[in-house]
Amino acid sequence: MVNWWIFSDSFLITILAYIVVSISLNLEAGFTGVPNFGKHLFVFLGAFAAQGIGVRIAAWLYQVVNPEAASQALKEVGRLVPGAHWSSIVEAAADTGANRIIVNSYLKPFVVENLAVEIALLFIVLGVTILLAMIFGLLASYAALRLREEYLAILLLSFSELMVMVVFYQTESLNGGNKGLWAITFTHNPIRFALIGSAVLAVLAFIYAERLANSPMGRAMRAVRDDEIAASVFGRDIASIRLKAIIAASVLAALAGFFYTQNNASATAITFNRVIWTFLPWAMIILGGMANNKGAVIGTIVFLIGKRIFEYYQEPIGKLLHIQAELVGSMLPNILIGILILLVLYLRPQGIIPEHMSKTIEFSKLAEEVVGKENAREGSSAQREED
Amino acid sequence: MSVVVKAEKVNAGYGRFHIIFDVDVEARRGEILVIVGPNGSGKSTLLKTIFGLTRIYSGRILFEERDITREPPHVRAKLGIAYLPQTGNIFTELSVKENLKMACYGLEASVAEERVREVLEFFPFLWYKLSSKAKTLSGGQRQLLAMAMALIRRPKLLMFDEPTAGLAPKAAKEVVEKILWLREELGKTIIWVEQNARLALEKGDNAILMVSGRVAYRGPARELLADRELGRKYLGVKG
Amino acid sequence: MAILPGITYTLSSLAYAAAIGLLSMGLTLTYLTTRIPNFAHATIGMIGSIVMLLLIDRVFYGSQSWLIYLLGPLAGGVAAAAFSVLMYRAILKPLADRGNSIIGLMIATLAVDIILLNILTLILNVVPGENIPKLIGANIIGFQPKIRVAGVVVDSYTIILPVAALVLATVFHLFLTRTSFGVAMRATIENPDLASAMGVNVNLVYMVSWAFSGFLAGAAGALMAFAFKGVDPAVSALVIVTVFAGSIVGGLTSIYWGLIGGVLVGLAEKLGTTIINNMYRAFLVPSLGLPNISLVNYEKVMSLGLVIIVLLYAPQGLAGVDWESILRRIKRARGGE
Ligand SMILES: Nc1ncnc2c1ncn2[C@@H]1O[C@H](COP(=O)(O)OP(=O)(O)OP(=O)(O)O)[C@@H](O)[C@H]1O
Ligand SMILES: [Mg+2]
Repeated sequence: MVNWWIFSDSFLITILAYIVVSISLNLEAGFTGVPNFGKHLFVFLGAFAAQGIGVRIAAWLYQVVNPEAASQALKEVGRLVPGAHWSSIVEAAADTGANRIIVNSYLKPFVVENLAVEIALLFIVLGVTILLAMIFGLLASYAALRLREEYLAILLLSFSELMVMVVFYQTESLNGGNKGLWAITFTHNPIRFALIGSAVLAVLAFIYAERLANSPMGRAMRAVRDDEIAASVFGRDIASIRLKAIIAASVLAALAGFFYTQNNASATAITFNRVIWTFLPWAMIILGGMANNKGAVIGTIVFLIGKRIFEYYQEPIGKLLHIQAELVGSMLPNILIGILILLVLYLRPQGIIPEHMSKTIEFSKLAEEVVGKENAREGSSAQREED
Repeated sequence: MSVVVKAEKVNAGYGRFHIIFDVDVEARRGEILVIVGPNGSGKSTLLKTIFGLTRIYSGRILFEERDITREPPHVRAKLGIAYLPQTGNIFTELSVKENLKMACYGLEASVAEERVREVLEFFPFLWYKLSSKAKTLSGGQRQLLAMAMALIRRPKLLMFDEPTAGLAPKAAKEVVEKILWLREELGKTIIWVEQNARLALEKGDNAILMVSGRVAYRGPARELLADRELGRKYLGVKG
Repeated sequence: MAILPGITYTLSSLAYAAAIGLLSMGLTLTYLTTRIPNFAHATIGMIGSIVMLLLIDRVFYGSQSWLIYLLGPLAGGVAAAAFSVLMYRAILKPLADRGNSIIGLMIATLAVDIILLNILTLILNVVPGENIPKLIGANIIGFQPKIRVAGVVVDSYTIILPVAALVLATVFHLFLTRTSFGVAMRATIENPDLASAMGVNVNLVYMVSWAFSGFLAGAAGALMAFAFKGVDPAVSALVIVTVFAGSIVGGLTSIYWGLIGGVLVGLAEKLGTTIINNMYRAFLVPSLGLPNISLVNYEKVMSLGLVIIVLLYAPQGLAGVDWESILRRIKRARGGE
């Protein structure tokens, strides 16, 4: 559909997915002060729901709805041994080469040509995405309510690396392991489906994040993020808001991962690594300015377009620098992104569009706001004066 | 009497937090300058600023007529300023001996040995504690160890931040006596921040009253003590 | 099937644990002095691995000389130390001075990690080997001197690494207790303001701590180069998880406990996982009919499991455990019998 200069359908889907992930990360890091260094796991959960889970359920439905065709498929991939059932289809689907294509050629039409099956499957996969995200979000918030921020960052990074690079990447029977697995796609035109779905998701995410940010609770959250005394004053309310924000952020990230996977129609855990889905979103929100939703969106767009231009012109740049084009495409952007982040941190510790709220807001005012009274004075530095 | 240290129109704070405003202070050789004021008024911050531990936005600090505004703390220490913080004024995880060794940091070995022997004469109780960890000392002993450590460097100016806080009356008395002795016997210049305003104002020469990061009174210590209004309002001193 | 692993595997596990111990020790050191958790630490160690690879390719190719064990860690350590100091002085300190929060600084170390990782990969891709044709992914296990233990030829680096860890830790301990700069470093860790009041140049102490940390990482990385199936900087992405695990298990409050925590986590990952795997396959698979899969790929589960246990039950890590009272209780229990 779109095909002009650097712009293509898949690039637009990528932008939309990253917008959602940036907003979601901003919800956690910018507003509630949870340094989620393990975002890639949450994004991968959506992909996993469409591949590891989606393929399984589709195969199972196939077995139920059309047992003859299912055993035909099993025969073709050489797995029609006594006792073979739907899970063998997943094993075959995880195989490389011909088997994967054969299984795909049976299952894909089965999904898109039965509206009832398709809708049921879509609800199941989305439901699983949300459920998984909530489970892992709960785990993360359990840690977030108990640990200091640097411990939390280390733990979230380690945990996500473990899940993505070890559990999902090494376990073939789960989701194809290091060979990856194709994902269940929806409608005859999954790219359009992904485009529309992720656009809707991005808009909803933005509205949600803006409303949260401008609510009294949102302001209180930012104060808490900056000040441990405030954190202890608002302890209980804050705990529940934090929980809410983390779970909402987790679900958003996973849904973004789901729509993103619709475009590729397959997924391997390693492509959801910590550089691509944790570090880049951090770079984007730092560029746009922490705790600022518009900034996150703008930062994301600027960042991705810049990166894309680089990849687009990798051949001439490689010639210029006398290195292979693939290295230009894969290594140089990462180096430049790293440098860019360091520069932004140095020049604008508050980001390109700085956060407007001042750090010290008087506690009494804040308390009033939280209990819902009007006309709070913003940006007050009165606390110091009255001491 | 010559001016040892002088702050001119100093504005300072921590990062973005501006704490003290347009403060002028000077201490002359051999005097005890007392700084009093309510909690959070910036007394500790003023001492830290003179020692270079805060961010100075504007103004100058002169030590013996030399501009030290931009010097890092360890350079100020070498020039002859000793700073005894309100809390954490000794290294609790190190032994008493290692604490004294730290106080000699940068001195030549022979000089260091001589100086340690000298302060052990002033503070004989330390002899028996040399190899214990400093965290096993009592509050008063800690203050005296901190003082000993400061003296090793033969500073010209000693800045005490609430040296009697949390001490039993007897220990506090001992510490105050040592401070007076520093001035009488060794001729040191002393800046003394104190919560117990009456006690310090009685012993001090000049005084400064800090309120909300500004100097609210400057003058002879006894006059501040006699000022009923200021005393009642800020110091809890009953007329 | 034997439950206990063989001698070669045990030795290589010990070597791995020693390397993780050195890395955790350095990570803990810079965290103690400058409060920055360094996510680039494992990749800094990779500098040592690459220096070792280059040394073998250019100097020691085919010589099997024991000198490699002296020069490799030294050169690798110095190179890594230089980078580490540069990273602190040119990047982290200016960022901290500009008012970045700890999160900002952590992001900065992640950024440095990515830059360094890609530069190292680029170097290995672009620089031609003199004797080893392709440097990226080169396997150098065969280039070490041979040694026999109990009649078996073992990889000599597995003997050298634990010894090197002990030597380095001892030297560092002597430095911290016997030299005045070392005492100043401990003093600075406890109370930097007071240390500066004693005339200590605190910034110099910070820089030296980054240098030491880098040196320990580079030396460990140099020796570990023999353990990799192929030298590839991307290895560091998972190693850093283990290093943080070791530091957290140690408590991030004492470099000695950092070393011990790293060694324990390293051993749990290698020996622990293998023993569990052997037991699983020998007993659980036949008796309960569980899937006959290998658990050794999941070794990181061990380190993260340890971290979670520590954070839940002993948030201060091993350093925060009151060992004296535990010892006393054990003695009392013995005496009571
Ligand atoms: N490291 C810091 N960062 C930010 N603000 C600080 C810091 N240290 C102190 N402050 C603030 O500076 C103000 C003055 O503090 P300071 O310690 O100088 O007061 P003080 O007069 O010594 O009080 P006290 O009598 O309680 O010791 C207080 O509002 C305090 O909150
Ligand atoms: Mg104070």
